[in-house]
Amino acid sequence: MDEPTLIRDAQHGDLDAFNTLVLAYQDIVYNTALRILGDEDQSADASQEAFISAFRALNSYRGGSFRAWLLRTVTNACYDELRRKQRRPTTPLEPETDDGDEVETPRWLADPNASPEEQLNQAELEHAIQHCLENLPTDFRTVVVLADIQGLDYSEVAVVVKKPVGTIKSRLARARLRLRECLQSFRELLPAAFRLEGERDL
Amino acid sequence: MTTPSFRDVEQLSAFLDGQLSQAEKARLEARIQSDPALAAALADLHQARAILRRTPKRHLPHNFTLTLKMAGIRPPVPRLVPALGWASAVAMLLFILTLGTNLLGQISFGASAPMMAAAPMTSEGFGLGGGLASTQVPGTDNTQVTPTVEAFVITAPEATSPGQTRLVAPTANLVPKATPEPVHIWLYIWLGLAAVLIAVALLIRRASIQAFRRKVGIKRNK
Repeated sequence: MDEPTLIRDAQHGDLDAFNTLVLAYQDIVYNTALRILGDEDQSADASQEAFISAFRALNSYRGGSFRAWLLRTVTNACYDELRRKQRRPTTPLEPETDDGDEVETPRWLADPNASPEEQLNQAELEHAIQHCLENLPTDFRTVVVLADIQGLDYSEVAVVVKKPVGTIKSRLARARLRLRECLQSFRELLPAAFRLEGERDL
Repeated sequence: MTTPSFRDVEQLSAFLDGQLSQAEKARLEARIQSDPALAAALADLHQARAILRRTPKRHLPHNFTLTLKMAGIRPPVPRLVPALGWASAVAMLLFILTLGTNLLGQISFGASAPMMAAAPMTSEGFGLGGGLASTQVPGTDNTQVTPTVEAFVITAPEATSPGQTRLVAPTANLVPKATPEPVHIWLYIWLGLAAVLIAVALLIRRASIQAFRRKVGIKRNK
């Protein structure tokens, strides 16, 4: 069954049709939430919340990119989660020793003395990227996650964040600049083919 | 070689994503050719984007499909709901009638009880304690009372001397036989009927919910 038919059936209350759409989009929805929030449990909650909200507000969908419409729901859920987190700060994510001291590991902090070969793996790269993403303002982070990680085009990103394409272009350029600077501090973790040009000058 | 301005970086970023018009693209390409700083900035942006595109996808912790409860969908009201409503009303009416009948029976029984108590039992006096005895009762004609083991009651205080209680068995000619309480046959009929109606109502409701769940379950597994 094609997507417009599924959407139409879901709009008429067909939960099976909606769940088929959920199965098609749950991967991008969860991974978007994960990159914005940086926490697995919160991302799962935000994703579930987003799908529930989407089902209830499905009649407000008036065509266009369903993916963008769905991602707008999840980014809103993420913003709600971030606001909740600001109101009730939780414990730091950094691992702690038995004495309660923070353990500084390459996972969280770039270590210029560590051997690149020892740390060059997928998990470390992911954590470096996540660390840099979390240093960005939320609006910039959302745009870069949607455009560069999820591969949406500018017009889709504009639908998701409800901003003009010009704003998306500007935010994306700023976000990429900041990420470039941040990722340079993790250059040992990056695969050789992706070492940043900037390090040639260091 | 000059440091690219933010406007340049913005153009380079859009250029990477193919978001420039043909004219803008041609102008920028010409500048990149002649300005190594712009070319380096473009390479940096390109590589930053390439790294972000390599961000691993995480596996889902679980599926996010919605359950009926999450979606706020309730089972449809069974067609028999109006009938169930009537059944409940009838059951309630029968219950009230039963309760009322029971109460009336108790009141009428309570009214007849003092009359029974005024019978010779008070003058005869049946005592408790001191064992079974056949004694003369003051104020009687000294008739010996044959003890039976049918029933014993506590004598009225004036019938015995202080500190002495006596137990006297009733006899047929002294104690009137209490008529048995009338059995309220309707009470039992109504109670039974109410129970049956409630049970039927519950069974129908359960069956309709199960039928709905079966239907939804089959549909969801398609």
